Amino acid sequence: MNRAIVIGGGSDALVAAQLLARAGREVMVIERRGASLDEGWVPPKVLRELKIEGLEPERPDPWLALPLPGGGRLELWRDMARTVDAIRRVSPHDAERWPEFCERMARLARFLEAVYAAPPPDPLSPGFALRARRLGRRGLADLLRILPMPVAELLDDWFEADALKGALGAAGVLHLLQGPRSGGTAFRLLHHHVGSPPGVFRPARSNVLELLRKLPRVELQNTEVLRISVSGGAVTGVVLKDGRELAALLVVSSVDPRRTLLDLVEPGWLDPELARALRHVRRRGVAARLRLELDRSPGFTSLALAPSLDYLERAYDDAKHGRVSREPYLEATCDERHRMEVLVQYAPYGVECRGLSERIQALLGEHWGDAQPQHVELLAPRELEEFEGWPEGQPHHAELSLDQALWMRPLPELAHYRTPIQGLWLCGPAMHPGAGIAGAAGLNCAHAILGR
Amino acid sequence: MADYHAIVIGGGHNGLVCAAYLARAGRKVLVLERRERVGGAAVTEEVFPGFRFSVFSYVVSLLRPEIIRDLDLPRHGLHILPLESTITPLANSDYLAQWNDHDQNRRELARHSLRDAEAYDEFGLMLHQMARAVKPLLAMAPPDPTSLSFGELMGMKRLAEHFRSLGPRRFNTLTKLLTMSSADFLDEWFETEALKATKSASGIIGTLLGPRSPGTAYVLLHHYMGELDGVFRAWGFAKGGNGSVSAAIASAAKAAGAEIRCNSPVERILVSYGRARGVVLENGEEIKAKRVISGADPRRTFMQLVGEKHLPAPFVESIRRFRFRGASAKVNLALGELPDFTCLPGRGPHLRGAISISPSIDYLERAYDEAKYGEISTRPYLDIVIPSLIDPGMAPPGKHVMSIFVQYAPYHLNGGWSDARREALGDTVVDTLSQYAPNLKNAILHRQVVTPADIERIVGLTEGNIFQGELSLQQMFFLRPVPAWAKYRTPLAGLYQCGAGTHPGGGVMGASGRNAALQILGTA
Repeated sequence: MNRAIVIGGGSDALVAAQLLARAGREVMVIERRGASLDEGWVPPKVLRELKIEGLEPERPDPWLALPLPGGGRLELWRDMARTVDAIRRVSPHDAERWPEFCERMARLARFLEAVYAAPPPDPLSPGFALRARRLGRRGLADLLRILPMPVAELLDDWFEADALKGALGAAGVLHLLQGPRSGGTAFRLLHHHVGSPPGVFRPARSNVLELLRKLPRVELQNTEVLRISVSGGAVTGVVLKDGRELAALLVVSSVDPRRTLLDLVEPGWLDPELARALRHVRRRGVAARLRLELDRSPGFTSLALAPSLDYLERAYDDAKHGRVSREPYLEATCDERHRMEVLVQYAPYGVECRGLSERIQALLGEHWGDAQPQHVELLAPRELEEFEGWPEGQPHHAELSLDQALWMRPLPELAHYRTPIQGLWLCGPAMHPGAGIAGAAGLNCAHAILGR
Repeated sequence: MADYHAIVIGGGHNGLVCAAYLARAGRKVLVLERRERVGGAAVTEEVFPGFRFSVFSYVVSLLRPEIIRDLDLPRHGLHILPLESTITPLANSDYLAQWNDHDQNRRELARHSLRDAEAYDEFGLMLHQMARAVKPLLAMAPPDPTSLSFGELMGMKRLAEHFRSLGPRRFNTLTKLLTMSSADFLDEWFETEALKATKSASGIIGTLLGPRSPGTAYVLLHHYMGELDGVFRAWGFAKGGNGSVSAAIASAAKAAGAEIRCNSPVERILVSYGRARGVVLENGEEIKAKRVISGADPRRTFMQLVGEKHLPAPFVESIRRFRFRGASAKVNLALGELPDFTCLPGRGPHLRGAISISPSIDYLERAYDEAKYGEISTRPYLDIVIPSLIDPGMAPPGKHVMSIFVQYAPYHLNGGWSDARREALGDTVVDTLSQYAPNLKNAILHRQVVTPADIERIVGLTEGNIFQGELSLQQMFFLRPVPAWAKYRTPLAGLYQCGAGTHPGGGVMGASGRNAALQILGTA
């Protein structure tokens, strides 16, 4: 029997499906509904192996605008010189440091790019040490120091302008139940820098999912998997919501590992130690989304509301004590048809978001001038869980913190895409590198299956 | 002509340990102490007539057993009395006790949660294994991962081999401990809030981080590595206070031939032709030596005693970035009677151990929330001991001394520290504790409050950080204090460091002083 079943329709699942199909498997992808827009960097290796052409990364320019307390905005452009000019008006000191900061962060990001395009490294292997050494003396020292650091400390080392530090600091805490003063958040700034040119600290969106869905050879089925059948420690197939049973000796799941192994697989096949560890994988959703349409242009394409690191930290304080932030971090992007999507953090999973939509509109209203919002829709983490399949509303399926990254993602025992159940494999955002890196986990997983 | 083989700046315990090892190897060593007594932050002072206090550091546990052995410290007067328990009083007049006695401890935990009682042994075993995995690193001069020299590469290889020898399971647990928050780590094991909070409290000591911030789990382990007479995680008092630890080391150093001069503040380190050649005292006296070893913290050593102009710019930049941010204070009380805790009335064995005000993780986080914006915690974390119960010589008959460690009291206080703010801190601490022991206020005869600013002024620890620099992941091991300069050497030839600002850090361990001496002697 040559059939392989891939669960989930994200970029990782589709990449894995394609590679398995090209290796001669008869592949069926079961997706609950058309997956939503994937964000993030697509490693060139993925495009190369699948021979995908026509990828169009989409990034606004300026890639971020930050309102300033005295009026006006600080705009960060893709062009370095233009950004330096813009920063100079706020702080000559910061303008002078910006190019070096960008150069040093970019160097570390290039290192992570190489790490992300491969299966999780063995931290004790000489090969990994050698690769890290290629960063050079200062680069390696930077890496070792920055990875465990709070992003606030890193930014305080370099800059003085609150607006700049706030916007960069926000990248350190996106989708994380931590504040900028928590350890390990500087790593997240680097993570979101991966794949971007120096000086750009937000990932691009792209049409990768659209391109992947157009590829032939793979059958897409729009339904839901209820159960993964296991017999004698090996996968035998899946049971679908419509009652159909499909036999397969290979099942690849891009659904989060906790759900895959604890809910979809019948209990009893998993070692209790592993089951316990899985239950402790943290996947707390902290961001809501507000979607709306404006009747005219708001005058920006990408706007971040994080006036200072303290503002972010206070927003986190609320979430830490189980409340929605009274003054949340907002990041709004608007397309040419004036459709706006706003990321709202922190809105912890399971906490009532009453009045949040109005508050966000009031906060943003100061910046979009006379534009009138319509079709306003707020998706709290609970709705995101329901509509997008993100566990607890967490788009990364497992929080990307240092202890759930690299060879620890999502757990050391599962990091190599293989599960203790023969024929059942994992890909998706919860697997290395995951979390916004499109397709790489799928590629690594397929390679592991095919023994490449 | 050099007068000495080596001058050690600062007679803190690390400086003394370093001097003792050098003197034992036959080197002519001079220790220069600014204050009128040796010990640095490990001193005993009669603050009020008849009442003797370990003014700053107040318990012993981390002092390395090899130092006790090598220097034969018991012969020089070191006598450690064990602490038997930790009590955490709770708001509902209940309490959580942790006893050294295994069965007693298990019964007490089971009273709160059967599940936690069951998990406790396994947790203890796990931490024990982790402490054993880290222990060899404490006595090691960290290899430089950025260097391509053969020696350093071999050092890194040995390090990798050590980690590999732990097996994947233990290595993964160790990585988790290094990268997780103490709250998350403990959440995986326990459900009793007071247990999690009291354990995670040792993860925030000396740092300006809350228990939910990643990186605190390692500090928890750091404090777990205490070892007395080969018994892991035993905590104790030094008979006569922590000053007697310093006194014993000083006595060992003198017996080996080291010279110790108090009241000798160093003004600067003599530098000529790119080499440290001695020191100049504040009274103008110049003393020459082949080597200068600084027990002062990195900022004081390099920015003050050496001066930027003698150092490479990137190094200066790194020293500037080395973070201190002291967040701990001490309140020392002279008591007319023992505190009477609502949860455990009367005089019981619980008073002979530690008392921890840490009812929940949220309590600690709230205390941290205020401190990170520059305020004193309204309800701080307190760690309390009553040394006079175990060592009656510390107070007049029938009276007692109480030592209270307080966190958070940030060095960078909004508006700065003043006498009024110091007393306000004292009131906050007494009020907090009085909620659990209502007779406390009436029992107080005298009160001494030591703020981070006081610690800096009196002991010379920058920003009052008790570890000579925060013990956070980015300032540890081969990054402490600066990458590539973690081997006790400095960019200035002839100048070495031996303080807690170097690996493995603070806690009256003595390991920094020993490691530095062994590096200098070339026998490491």
